[in-house]
Amino acid sequence: MKRLLLVLLLALAMPLAAQETFPRNDVKDPRAGLFAFTNATVVVDAQTTLNNATLLVRDGKIEQVGTNISVPRGYAVYDLKGKYIYPAFIDLSSYYGLPEVQRPRGGGFSGVEQIQSNTKGAYNANQAIRSHYNAADEFTINNKSADELRKAGFGAVLSHKPDGIARGTGAFVTLGETSDNQVMLRQKAAALYSFDKGSSTQNYPSSLMGCIALLRQTYLDAEWFGSHNPRPFADNSLEAWIQNQKLPQIFEANSWMNILRADKVGDEFGVQYIIKGGGDEYKRINEIKSTRATLIVPVNFPDAYDVEDPLDAARVSLAEMKHWELAPTNLAALEKAGIPFVITANGLRRVADFIPNIRKAMEYGLSEGAALKALTATPAQLIGMDNQIGSLKKGMIANFLITSGKIFDEKTIIYENWIQGKPYSIKPLDTKDFSGNYQLSVGETNYVLEVSGEAGAHKAKVKLNDTTSVDATATFKENLITLSFKPSPKESGTIRLSGWTENNGWKGKGQLVNGQWVNWSATRTGDVKSNTAGRAGAQDKKTPEVGKVIYPFIAHGYPSLPVAETMIIRNATVWTNEAEGILQNTDVLIKDGKIARIGKNLSEPGAKIIDGTGKHLTPGIIDEHSHIATASVNDVATNSGMVRIGDNIDAENINVYRALAGGVVAVQILHGSANPIGGQSALVKLRWGEAPENYKIQGADRFIKFALGENVKRTANANSIRYPQTRMGVEQVYMDAFTSALEYKKKWDAYNSLPAKEKATAIKPRRDLAEEAMLDIINKKLFITCHSYVQSEINMLMKVAEKFNFRVNTFTHILEGYKVADKMAQHGVAASSFADWWNYKWEVRYAIPYNAAILTRAGVLTAINSDDAEMGRRLNQEAAKTVKYGGLSEEEALKTVTLNPAKMLHLDNQMGSIKVGKSADVVLWTDHPLSVYAKAEKTIIDGKVYFDIEKDAQNRKEQEAERARLIQKMKDAKRAGAPTQRGEGRSQVMFHCEDVLGVEFDDHDH
Amino acid sequence: MKTFVYITLLFLLGVAYAQTPVPAPPQSKPIALTGATAHLGNGQVINNAVVAFDKGKLTIVAPASSNPNLSGYEVINVSGKHIYPGFILPNSQVGLQEVTSIRAMNDFQERGEMNPNVRALIAYNTDSEFIPTFRFNGVLLAEATPTGGTISGTSSVMEMEGWNWEDAAHSIDIGIHMNWPSMMRRQFDFNTFTFSEQANNEYDKQVTELHQFFTEAKAYGQQAARETNLKFEAMQGLFDGRKILFIHAGSPKEIVESVRFAQRQGVQKITLITGTSAVWVADFLKENNIPVIIQDTHNLPDRIDDDIDLPFRAPYLLHQAGVQVSLFCAGALHNGRNLPFFAGTAVAYGMDKEEALKTITLNTAKALGIDKRVGSLEVGKDATLFVSEGDALDYRTNNLLMAFISGKRITLSGNQQELYERYSRKYGQMK
Repeated sequence: MKRLLLVLLLALAMPLAAQETFPRNDVKDPRAGLFAFTNATVVVDAQTTLNNATLLVRDGKIEQVGTNISVPRGYAVYDLKGKYIYPAFIDLSSYYGLPEVQRPRGGGFSGVEQIQSNTKGAYNANQAIRSHYNAADEFTINNKSADELRKAGFGAVLSHKPDGIARGTGAFVTLGETSDNQVMLRQKAAALYSFDKGSSTQNYPSSLMGCIALLRQTYLDAEWFGSHNPRPFADNSLEAWIQNQKLPQIFEANSWMNILRADKVGDEFGVQYIIKGGGDEYKRINEIKSTRATLIVPVNFPDAYDVEDPLDAARVSLAEMKHWELAPTNLAALEKAGIPFVITANGLRRVADFIPNIRKAMEYGLSEGAALKALTATPAQLIGMDNQIGSLKKGMIANFLITSGKIFDEKTIIYENWIQGKPYSIKPLDTKDFSGNYQLSVGETNYVLEVSGEAGAHKAKVKLNDTTSVDATATFKENLITLSFKPSPKESGTIRLSGWTENNGWKGKGQLVNGQWVNWSATRTGDVKSNTAGRAGAQDKKTPEVGKVIYPFIAHGYPSLPVAETMIIRNATVWTNEAEGILQNTDVLIKDGKIARIGKNLSEPGAKIIDGTGKHLTPGIIDEHSHIATASVNDVATNSGMVRIGDNIDAENINVYRALAGGVVAVQILHGSANPIGGQSALVKLRWGEAPENYKIQGADRFIKFALGENVKRTANANSIRYPQTRMGVEQVYMDAFTSALEYKKKWDAYNSLPAKEKATAIKPRRDLAEEAMLDIINKKLFITCHSYVQSEINMLMKVAEKFNFRVNTFTHILEGYKVADKMAQHGVAASSFADWWNYKWEVRYAIPYNAAILTRAGVLTAINSDDAEMGRRLNQEAAKTVKYGGLSEEEALKTVTLNPAKMLHLDNQMGSIKVGKSADVVLWTDHPLSVYAKAEKTIIDGKVYFDIEKDAQNRKEQEAERARLIQKMKDAKRAGAPTQRGEGRSQVMFHCEDVLGVEFDDHDH
Repeated sequence: MKTFVYITLLFLLGVAYAQTPVPAPPQSKPIALTGATAHLGNGQVINNAVVAFDKGKLTIVAPASSNPNLSGYEVINVSGKHIYPGFILPNSQVGLQEVTSIRAMNDFQERGEMNPNVRALIAYNTDSEFIPTFRFNGVLLAEATPTGGTISGTSSVMEMEGWNWEDAAHSIDIGIHMNWPSMMRRQFDFNTFTFSEQANNEYDKQVTELHQFFTEAKAYGQQAARETNLKFEAMQGLFDGRKILFIHAGSPKEIVESVRFAQRQGVQKITLITGTSAVWVADFLKENNIPVIIQDTHNLPDRIDDDIDLPFRAPYLLHQAGVQVSLFCAGALHNGRNLPFFAGTAVAYGMDKEEALKTITLNTAKALGIDKRVGSLEVGKDATLFVSEGDALDYRTNNLLMAFISGKRITLSGNQQELYERYSRKYGQMK
């Protein structure tokens, strides 16, 4: 008690030099801050533990620590016999002590566009670049949050405001409550970044890929800006950005895919970010490791789902169930893989769950040492503060925990959290252990009193006789006791006792049921017999059994990826798309990922034989216009040429698997049609289960989306103010962009042609990624796929291209292409169209299903595409419509979804036909591929079977069983008292051209 | 190529359209189609059939071997071809909607929640340019259906031919469409870029409002003296069996709740319009004898975890469970012309071909309560049928040679064919 009082007094008046400048409103109260902690087990750091050691604190710092230290006079001494001292934890991902971010509501694109930043002052052109922001300027102590964090073992945090793509700097502060001045250890401890524009109301960027593009451009802008002295203009944000580069760079990514994306941006500019993940790194441990980033990992394990009602339980996906089971294995997986990490409490709904969750992670294999290191030494080191904090060595800041035992043991109590040499009490340090059996005498009657449980949480029971006992209500204080119980179970009255602690029990006064006052005493007779093995068994606990990780980590993923096989497809009808045409009863050998031979009666040692009798083998379908497998589809800058779909491939998109099952092997993931100049495409093969980068077709040419007409005029938005609003303006956007690109080239040419001497001192022109995209188009290094409908605009873009001496590669949709087929043929542009869509908006009023036939006959290379995940999985059927409408031959029809798109995408040297040497990207169909009755039986990419109808059937059964197992496990968890959550029925967004921020407009508004 | 020739022929005859095709005159003489394979729509097939009709009604549907008397008939030999009853597109906005994105061209959704009295029939535009495109593939009848609100309005079945809505009306005011409230609300989560479902806290309130409306409507019918209430007047047909209640319900639980609701309200005829969730309560639907019109097969599964072919298989699964199933087009209206292929897809995923045909003919007619007149090729029924080059459920062979609506031989091409012709000529592609 005395000590507690002392603690309180100290808390009120701890002198620190920092406060010298402040006015005094009392007499001077100087204190030395000398404390000695003796007989403790001191965990200096994760490697070093000293038994029976002494720790001396002087003026907020650790003065000495060791086993042979005698306490000098003048120290307040704490005897910590049986107790532990640990370095207090450090969290690098905290928003502590900062105001909440005000986010603009909603998404979509129906309001008035905000083209410019509305930040007042000399700041960056983009409102989401907040590198000028310093958390230290706004930070103030928050007692409530500090208390929560201290109870979870934390002593210091790196706090930042989660606002913007560049978030400025974070401040490193302790969780003390002395004063803002004293707790701040370093004002600018790190620079922070994210893919979340936070409070920015500016339209651009409105997509994940836009955020990445903006980051990239800002790195370039800062480099250019910094090369000027004096600067060309004032930009406080860029100025700060330049300064902030010296700090540790931390990226809040929040998911395994975003970790890879962030790391890639860093690599481009020679920055190795420290990356905050989402706790799902176990899903892709190898790819995560290859980033070489140190991770900040949350322990926000999801609650079990309530799955009592089977119809409601259907809303919970297999991925959610599996993540529930596997999330606690994440830290162990990281440790095992040797990936450096620190741990954060960020993302927890209840901070109090922090240590229990660490403990849970340890049950699944996380070692105590790794956990401790990740909470102390590593975070200190990452921000360059390890000479001051993160261990209990001499000279370090006195941030430590006093505990009853090993920090992560279930029964361990944190008594006090000392911060900067000042104690913050969590549980009374001197809690006395009263457990034992006592002879209880109340007046003339004798009972047996049994006190059980841990100190501070005792339970009491009174044995009335050999067979009957009753629970007693009791409170135990160091010096005082209150106890009441029923002298007979049937009686309603109680005996109420109050007393004081004696050497071997208690004495005191009490009242019987009838109100009569009596004296009472209790004398300890021995220990309570424990009825379980207790904690002895804890170490023998086996790691719990868990399910397998599947690739990708959603339903229809597989535990392993397919491998390239040598196989002969025997006796099939082979659609070659070559001069040979359709070959009957033919064999095709696939080897090393390529088509190795085509013929009859082929043989190859070790080849797997696939019977193709009665079946059709065709080149794999290529969808020239798709929006699957991307995390975002549209950005909104009029010229979004700097935006790249390839920056945000989504490798966990179910529509990839559905498309595979429809015989699709490759797609062009196009940017949307919200702007005249959209972003750059990604050409991918549907390598289901692979990591995002492995989807990409290596060495493929680069493509970019352009768009014309109603969407870019923002016709659907009556409030739009964005230029252009007419087809006249659309042309001018292009004229402007290409003219400007040529000027840009001139500037660089002039710079590049300077004599070496002058060049060394000259300032480089600014690199502009949108301009470069335009220049690449003119230089035929980047190829246009243009969303288009009516003949006027089609004609227009061809004329613009001709003026700048290049050609449009492809018009997509191109529903009025048939009206200018001759001009298109002359220009040499390809057409990629819908088979039979029309009349969903004015500009498609005169769309006809004969378009593809007319274009083909006019000599225009023509494809049928989907722009839609549903049509995208039965493109063979869409191709069949070109026979029905307009009478293309069946071979020509199949080419519209295979060879022709391959040509448009400049991939026909490796795909699009069944030809020896080409990539083995083929589909085996159960029936004629243009028939409504045909199903893809096998879809093969690079000689690997990515879809197999038999394997799919098998996988359904296995996943059904896996769901059943997990449902049972969740029910068990619920019964055992675990909290549950309701399934939310998450479903993925299906993107179309028109979608901004994933919000679907109308029906299929292409 | 044959279509091509056919169209060319029409042009040579001087039939060019700037507008939708001219409606055909009534059948003037008996016609007999001989030699084709007749798919009756009721599951039966007659090879080498005689299908004959007079004054708009079928008079003979029989094998040629039965030697029917064809005297007085104009005999058209269609040997090797296939005859089908006209396909029926239920639950569509045909005639009520033109260019979807233009508000002025939309006439299918009235304001307010309870609109049983608004009638699709009177807004129906016979000159809609969708109509020729439907007919081109064999869709000869469609239900014009209001949408929106809780009770959307009253639908009618229209022939895809006629000078005006009175002329085109096949079955007037067949039923009322009700949208059962959703137990869950879909919400977009910008953090994860996914949709999630949250409980709809208004659900009980919305159900209570429906309950109130139905019970008061029913009571109204029994009141001797009353002030006319147009909404309640429109509702009476539900209680006396003149009108069908078309329930639009989403999840399995909503299906059960809505059907039980309608039964308790004393609704005589119920048809359910839903998606693949019907599969989970197929037994319930069978036991309660509820006809089901489900979304077409060309849709994606609702959930990530669903079998990837669930929408393809759903008609088969329901049929297997003994449910009477037919198909509507869940996507944009222009997709209605692909109705035959929706059924074709069901065949690829397990359904018998003639059974799949029922999902767009006889089963649909039954679900709409018009099977006495259409839905199958049976003597006495409307001569609403067509001749196709081959299997009309497959892209490769769906190629209409001629079509009749109530015996009227209709024009099959429209603006799209006219534009095809115009530009093929421009480029010298047409020989």
